[in-house]
This record gives sequence, structure tokens and C-alpha cells, in this order.
Amino acid sequence: MKKSMGWKVGLILAVIVFSVWMFYPPKDKINLGLDLKGGMHLILEVQTDEAIRIQTDQSIEQLKSSLKEDGIKFEKVKRVGVNKIEIIGTSFDDERTIKDILEDDFRDWRITYSSNRIILSLRPNIEMKMRDQSVDQALQTIRNRVDEFGVAEPVIQKEGLSGDRLLVQLPGVDDPARVKSLIKSTAMLEWKHVVAGSFPSKEDALEKYGGNLPDDLVILKEKGSKSCYVLRAASVVTGKDLKTARSSVDEYGAPAIGFSLNSRGARKFEKYTSKNIGQRCAIILDNRVLLAPSISTVISGDGIITGRYTSDEVSDMVLMLRSGALPAPMKYLEERTIGPSLGADSIRKGLYACITGLILVLIFMLVFYKGAGINSNVALILNIIILMGILSYFKATLTLPGIAGVILTIGMAVDANVLIFERIKEEIRFGKSPKSAIESGFKKAFLTIFDANLTTIIAAIFLYQFGTGPIKGFSVTLIIGIVASMFTAVFVSRVIFDLIYGKRKKLKKISI
Amino acid sequence: MRIFKKEPDFNFMGKRFLAFALSGLIIVAGAIALTTKGFNLGIDFSGGTLIEVSFKNYTNENNLRKVLKKVGFGKSEIQRVGRKENKFFIKTIKSIEEENKSQHKSESVIENQDLGEHEKVAEMIKSSFISEKERASLKGGKIDINNASENKIKNFLITKGASEEDAMESSLKINDLKKNETGLINSFKDLEELKLRRRVMTILKDNTFLGNFTFLSTEIVGPKVGSDLRSKAILATFWALLGMLIYIAFRFKFVYAFAAVITLFHDILVILSFIVFFNVEMSLTVVAAILTLVGYSLNDTIVVFDRVRDNVKLMRREKVESIINRSINQTLTRTIVTSGTTLLTVLALFFFGGEIIHTFSLILIVGILIGTYSSIFQSCAWLKVWEKYFIRRKKI
Repeated sequence: MKKSMGWKVGLILAVIVFSVWMFYPPKDKINLGLDLKGGMHLILEVQTDEAIRIQTDQSIEQLKSSLKEDGIKFEKVKRVGVNKIEIIGTSFDDERTIKDILEDDFRDWRITYSSNRIILSLRPNIEMKMRDQSVDQALQTIRNRVDEFGVAEPVIQKEGLSGDRLLVQLPGVDDPARVKSLIKSTAMLEWKHVVAGSFPSKEDALEKYGGNLPDDLVILKEKGSKSCYVLRAASVVTGKDLKTARSSVDEYGAPAIGFSLNSRGARKFEKYTSKNIGQRCAIILDNRVLLAPSISTVISGDGIITGRYTSDEVSDMVLMLRSGALPAPMKYLEERTIGPSLGADSIRKGLYACITGLILVLIFMLVFYKGAGINSNVALILNIIILMGILSYFKATLTLPGIAGVILTIGMAVDANVLIFERIKEEIRFGKSPKSAIESGFKKAFLTIFDANLTTIIAAIFLYQFGTGPIKGFSVTLIIGIVASMFTAVFVSRVIFDLIYGKRKKLKKISI
Repeated sequence: MRIFKKEPDFNFMGKRFLAFALSGLIIVAGAIALTTKGFNLGIDFSGGTLIEVSFKNYTNENNLRKVLKKVGFGKSEIQRVGRKENKFFIKTIKSIEEENKSQHKSESVIENQDLGEHEKVAEMIKSSFISEKERASLKGGKIDINNASENKIKNFLITKGASEEDAMESSLKINDLKKNETGLINSFKDLEELKLRRRVMTILKDNTFLGNFTFLSTEIVGPKVGSDLRSKAILATFWALLGMLIYIAFRFKFVYAFAAVITLFHDILVILSFIVFFNVEMSLTVVAAILTLVGYSLNDTIVVFDRVRDNVKLMRREKVESIINRSINQTLTRTIVTSGTTLLTVLALFFFGGEIIHTFSLILIVGILIGTYSSIFQSCAWLKVWEKYFIRRKKI
């Protein structure tokens, strides 16, 4: 054996050992997709518009109190769309002061003055940042909740180009209703000023305002009943200002939720309560009024939420509050639940199809190319070993379409060998000696193989970009399979030819 | 072994107008069929629910439809999985237009903008299969082993007084027993073979029953995903084509890129025509299959083009037609062999791969045949077209 052959054989053996080591035993090493092991696949959309709206409402409240503090008269401050504020009816004399206030405290807003109104619009870059933040925060919140729930190897990530979608995959979970409500509950906690209430129904509440509710007010139902409150739309404090929540008890020893606000929230709350003693402030969870106590003293950071809760309800609510509120409501766009038996069935059938396909191709190549067929069959089996090895190395996920990708790869991987063998046959037909036919066959076929395979890879890459979970799995196996086939067909097959025919000085005929 | 004794000498280029006519005919027929009946959109694209349900006792489509009619979904598509199996796909689609209308009505109510309708549909369909007797058992506090998750069974056993260890072991074993073809446990006899603790077995016999059906999978897709996917699919195809075009133009010459892309359009249009003819359901996997075939067909085409490029240098005096003919003939064995091996594997997938992958493999089979045909009869013919109209001196 020549020296150069030594390292080539060594390299091949190393690749085999590495690949086998990577994926053996396959049961533990191969990462199965949701469609094969069962579980839930969810796509949610974060309603970032809502996040912006909430932010704008808070700014309006802040603006109003700043204007009032400086004794500036105005007719109305209202929200237009989700990201604009209009100040109407200010007097010309106050313009200087208003400008000062706006320029100091409202830098995130672009301000335009016109004859009778001032318009604040949220700067696009700030708005974008806020939207991104709300998505990131939602992602983190869901991750916290799923971790608390105890799911092994969940996938929680952003999905798609629009930037506001989240993909949640929970293997082994087949209890959709419970998980879905756990993930989706906004757990949005808000404190809002009570203007009037409670009313027995929404219609009664509206009647008080002549059927036409002013812009800055909202009507919300009480949790578990039909009665309604009229509240100021802008929140005093929101869950964002929540530092922590815990299980607690009220003065009668009944279960209650204890909470602490962070310093910013505490300051806001203190300021608000000190001005509104005797008034009522509602605590709202996910747009339902939990309770509306009247304010008896100045409250800063801590408090409890009482109600007729069971201790289980309290611990669930605490879990959600503690894992963080979602910054905005979410919407389910897609939900797929695959039971465990279906996955097992798919694996069985996929494996069966794989093996049948493989055997058919092996037999075909053996019959068609005889001796060289053995060579390409060795290369093909090696190809599959490498494919499995790389899949495990990158912790890629094997899905049902992924298995289809493996099968297709088996069919296409021999293509490189076919190209080479046909070239060799052709060269022999031209009258070249077997040895130089092998030499030039490999050389001439290489560029063809390279170009042809690279274009297929380009198609597969776009497939990857476009696809969701299972289809991504398909394109990954296809890409790896093609790359591996370049190694096995071009390099390994050559080495095998050299090992068999290399030593013979007089080679008259090869089996091909 | 050889397919041809010596190098074949078919006049493929001479048949090119016939090939143009044939493909043109298929595509035009496809376009007409499309305008009259449209694509059969799966829930991936149209939004809706798809439920796979497996029954213990024999039933048929008509029985299911009767049950569904009672809850107002008599128009759902019901399809038996395979031929003999007692499993069915139930597809219920609510069109996107309808969904949009209802969205405009109920603006500002955040809670209702969810998958909402579709979710309710799925729940209603699912609960419609529960028989009166089973409903009574459920009301009496029993649970249905065939429709309870592993976790639920475990917790149930614990509340009924089994030790945590026993409960965990038993629920795991029960869950594994369900991992058969039907996803169901047929009788308590089967359960007894698991050799569970006697205590657990008593609890199971007294407090549970084995329901008549189970849901193998549930898919609910909202309307928004569908419309997004459609544009995404078109974009992906567009970018893939552009990427390949640039690569070929870079590695070969622009003529080849032109011919290759026309060929790919041809392939896509012909496959789409077949999809319309045979009313194949358009789903994500079908789009994936089409894109795969684009890659496969291009692979075939490149091999021939590569030969043409070589031969142009070797056969300077020959006419373009004969250079091309020669190249196709030289690579013909390879084209046939590779299509053959790929077909073998895809056929294995079609016959043994199971129902879920059925359409996918069907498209692949048709597509491989189309791809092979196009790389022999279409791609090079388009080289000739470009050469005839845009290149003065003979050179491709």
C-alpha cells in the first residue's frame, strides 16, 4: 500500500468511527421531531398593537397630570389610533410651557403643532423597539411558564419574518386545553381608577352616559358575574411594575395573593393613592375586575388581593403573575396535537420504507454494475452512516418528512456513482486502459457532480427558509445527504478502486 | 450491464416541437381546469381543522357523517385512512372570506379573535363521537383510558388511592400499550396482560372504561397562517429559482441559465396541472415536494448541460442540434439509471411509508417522471430557442 493510501483509508475509518459513535445507540442520540414522538405544536401571535396602545394610554395619563401640575388648561387629551396622542384646546399663552414639558418628558414622541391642536406621534424607531421588546418579553414569559409546568426539551422561539410570532413545541404533552390556557393567559394585571359602579349590566352602565361612553373611559365586567364597572381607560399601574407575587392570606385567614411593586410602580401608586383617598381603585386581571376596594390610606409598594379563592386558584395565579405577565394579549394561529401512538406508527412505517428502498437500490446497483456495484453499495451504506452521524452531531431533528428525505437521499446519492461509472464505461469504449479510464472517469465526472449537487443544495436551502418544523427536517436531511454523497461517491469509491486495482501492474478488465 | 449496446443515437432535438406541443397542451388544460375547479386547498392553506380518529369497532363514512350532521358539520370531508384500517381523517374548512367577515363584525373584542371558531369546531366534532353510555360513565366520574393522557391516568390513579410509584409505572405501561396501529386498547383483557399491581387493576376496572375511539392527531390552523403561507410558498419558489439562475449563469453562461429556468417553470406548471387534474390536496408537504423536484430536475438538467458545454469545445464544426443530440444520448444511460434508483426508493415510500406521507410520495413519483422527461426533451430545446433568436454566430 502506498503512503498516500494510508491516510485516505485512515480518514475514512475515522469518519465511520466518529459517525457511529455520534449516533449509537440511535434511540438516545437521534432527536425525534414532534410528529414522531407526539406532542403539541403551537404558533402564537403577540398582539404588539395592544402593547403599544397600553403604552400610549399610560403616556396620556402622565401627560395629563403634568399639564395639570403646571396649571395648563386644555379641553381634551385623547389617543388616536394606537400610537398618537392629540392635545386639543390649549390656549396660545401656554405654548411655551407646553413645549418645555413635551421636550423634557416626551422625547420618544415626535411633536407637531398646528393651530388648534398638538399631535404627539410615537417615533417609529421607538415603536419598533417597543414591539420587539414585547415579543421578547412574551417569549421569556412563556418559557418561564413552560419550565414551571415541567416539560422536557421544549422548543420556544420566534418564528417567521413578521417578527411577532412565536413557535412553541411541547413534546409528550397531549393535554391541549390545560396547556393552552396556561400559556395564553395574559396574566395582565392592572390597577385602574373606578369612575362609577358597579352596575348590574353593561347597558345600565352605558345609560348613565347617554349611551355614549367618553374616549377615556372603559367598561369592564367583574370576574365571574355580569356586573360592570366604569373605569378610567389608562392604568394607574400595570403588571410591568410588579416585583413579585406570592401566596398569602387575608385578615380572616382566607387564601389571597400578595404582591409587591417595584420602585417605579411604588412611586406611581403612592402618588395616585395619596390624591385619591376615599375613591375606589379596581384590580384587573386579563380585563376582568377582580376587586374594587376603596382607598383608605396611602399605599406604596405592597398589598394583597383578596377574594373567594381556593388555595389552588391562588397558587395558579401566583405562578402566572410570577412568571411575568405577557406584555400584550396573544392569539393562537395554529395548533397541532399529535398523539403518541401516531408517532410510533410513523416511525415503524418510515423505517420499513427506508429499508425496503435501500435494499431495492442495493440490488439494482449490484445487478447493473456488478463489481463496481459492490463499490457503490459500500459508499451508499457509508453515506447513510455519515448522514445519521451528522444529524446527531448537529442535534438536528428527525421528522417524518425527514425520513422521506433520507429515503430520497438513498435514491439520489447513487447518482454521483452512476455518473462516474458511466464516464468510466465511456472512456473504456474510447479504448482507454482500465486504469486511465478510472482516472479520467473520476476527474471528468467530478465537476458535473459538483455543479449538479450544488444547485440541488440551493433549492434545499430555500426550502429550509420557507418551511416549518417538519419540512425543515426534510431539507436538512437532504442537504446533509447530498454533501455526504460527494464524499462517499467521489472520495471513498475512488479509494476502494485504488485498493482493489492499484497494486496490479497489468489490469486488463474491470468489472463495471 | 448496459441499457444500450453502443452509444445511442436518438434524434431528440427533431422531436422538440412535438414536446413543446405536448407540454403546452398539458399546461393549458391545467390552467383551464384551475379556473373551473381551482385547487383543493388543505387546512395548511385554507385554515380549518383536521382530526384523525381511530375506532375500535367497524364503522364507515356514512355513519360518521350522520353523527357529524347532528352537530352541524355534515359537510366535513371524511376520508378513510388506508383501505382496511378503521381510521378516518375528518376535515372541516371554514373559508377565509367567511372568517374575515366575522372578524369585522366583532372588532375590539380581543378574546374572540383567536383560532376561536376553528377550536370550537374541533371540540364539537370530538365530543360528538362520545356515545350516550360513555357520556353517562364520564358524568359518573369515570375516565376514558383511551382518551386520557399518561399524566391524567397517573393523577387519577393517585387520587383513587394508588401509590405514586405504582401510578407512574402503570400509566407508563398503559401509554405504551396504546402505541399500536390503532392507538386504542381493545379490552380489559389486554390491560391484564400488562401485569399491573392488583390494586391498580381493581381501580381501573371500577373507575375507568375503554372508550370506543381515540384521536390520533388534531390540527387546527387559523386563517391568517394560511394566507401567509401562500405568499411564503410563492416567495420561496421565486428566490430558489433566482438563486439557481444566478449560480448557473455564473458557472455556465447566461443561455444555460435561461434554458434551465424555463425548464423549471415548465416542471412546476406541469406538476401543478397534474395536481389540479387529480384533485390532490395542496398542503405544506406538497409544496415541499414541488420544491424538491425543482432541485431534482435541475440536477438532471445540469448533467446534460455540462455535457453540452464539453461537447461545444470538442465538436466545433458540428451544428448545434447535433451537439445537443449527442450530449443527451451520451448521458442517457445515467439519466435513466438515476431516475430508476430514485423511483425505486420513492415507490417504497409510497407503498410502505404510511398515509401521512402518501401524497408527498405520489407527487415525487409524478415529478421524477416529469423531471426526467424535461431534462431530455425540454431543457436543451430551450438552449436551441435562445441560440436561434439571440445569438448571431453559432456558439452556446
